[in-house]
Amino acid sequence: MSYFVVSDNCNGCLSCVENCPANALSYEDADGKRTILHNMARCVRCANCWRVCPQEAIQFQHFLENRWDAVIQLGLVYCSVCGEPLYTAAQEKTLSGNMGRPLEHLCPKHKSADFAARQALFLKKKQSNRETQHDRR
Amino acid sequence: MIVAELKPIDEIAESISHFKKVAIVACGGCVSICLTGGANNADALARELAHPRHYQSLPPVFDTTTIQRQCEKDFVNAFLNIPPDADAILSLACGAGVQTVAEAMETLPVIPALNTSFLGSLDAPGIWREKCQGCGNCLLAFTGGICPVSRCAKHLLNGPCGGSKNGKCEIGEDTDCAWQLIIDRLKVLGRLDEYEKLFPLKDWSTDRGKGPRVQGVDRTKT
Repeated sequence: MSYFVVSDNCNGCLSCVENCPANALSYEDADGKRTILHNMARCVRCANCWRVCPQEAIQFQHFLENRWDAVIQLGLVYCSVCGEPLYTAAQEKTLSGNMGRPLEHLCPKHKSADFAARQALFLKKKQSNRETQHDRR
Repeated sequence: MIVAELKPIDEIAESISHFKKVAIVACGGCVSICLTGGANNADALARELAHPRHYQSLPPVFDTTTIQRQCEKDFVNAFLNIPPDADAILSLACGAGVQTVAEAMETLPVIPALNTSFLGSLDAPGIWREKCQGCGNCLLAFTGGICPVSRCAKHLLNGPCGGSKNGKCEIGEDTDCAWQLIIDRLKVLGRLDEYEKLFPLKDWSTDRGKGPRVQGVDRTKT
């Protein structure tokens, strides 16, 4: 859908084309028809066309619509414990490539819980090793 | 927004007369909106400057291009295409844009085609008026949204000078007395008691007292 919308009031007078400071409006006369053309990349959204249109045909509100256009869709990776979205699969590929190892699919909360559990296990093992050595003596 | 006006044609022609090929670079930002620096203006300027009457020898050859914003160095480096045989750039940007292009295009002279006028707004179609001086210490909260620094000819901060007549400044009939506007506005807002408050001496060090101002942290230097 074009952001540059005109109503049926437009009579093709070319006031908008002539007065666009950014050369973002043009027209084509072909096959018995006049086509008004708009180039969004050039448009500054200065509203000059809207101001000068003698027919009040330019519906500038469409330039001001709070509309989101989908740009791209990417697969997500989720926390293996709680299911919270972590990052995209493509991002994971970049990160694990940079780090030289596969990533654990854990959110910060479960990563710290996992770390604490592992640390507790490590300390427990260390303690039991000490006790074993003590018993041997 | 930044408002600028075209320099006199003779001055522009004089500054480019010794070049063979000049790239006219329009800016798609503020100066497009104020009808002086956009693609349309670049085309019109190229047509005018190509006329031999402006030169004693042959006029230069012109090429026109537009970049959405001339005031962003990385953007200019990435997207500004200048013909390889151009020996000068004529920039239709504000002073910030001209300097940015000059930094990006180190080996080419960059010549301004506009005089940067002020920070202003559109009062009526085709009429831009100065509204801000970028003083770095905004007082609009206390003056009903009307700036005494930029709109009072004497930059007075504590009421009018006494020279205004029928709401017009003594410097000319075309200029509204900023303090008349402020008082009228405060009345409408029911905040006329604000007018009784005295402003202390303004700290002008936030204006240009400490050299060119910078906003943001340059992490490349830390």
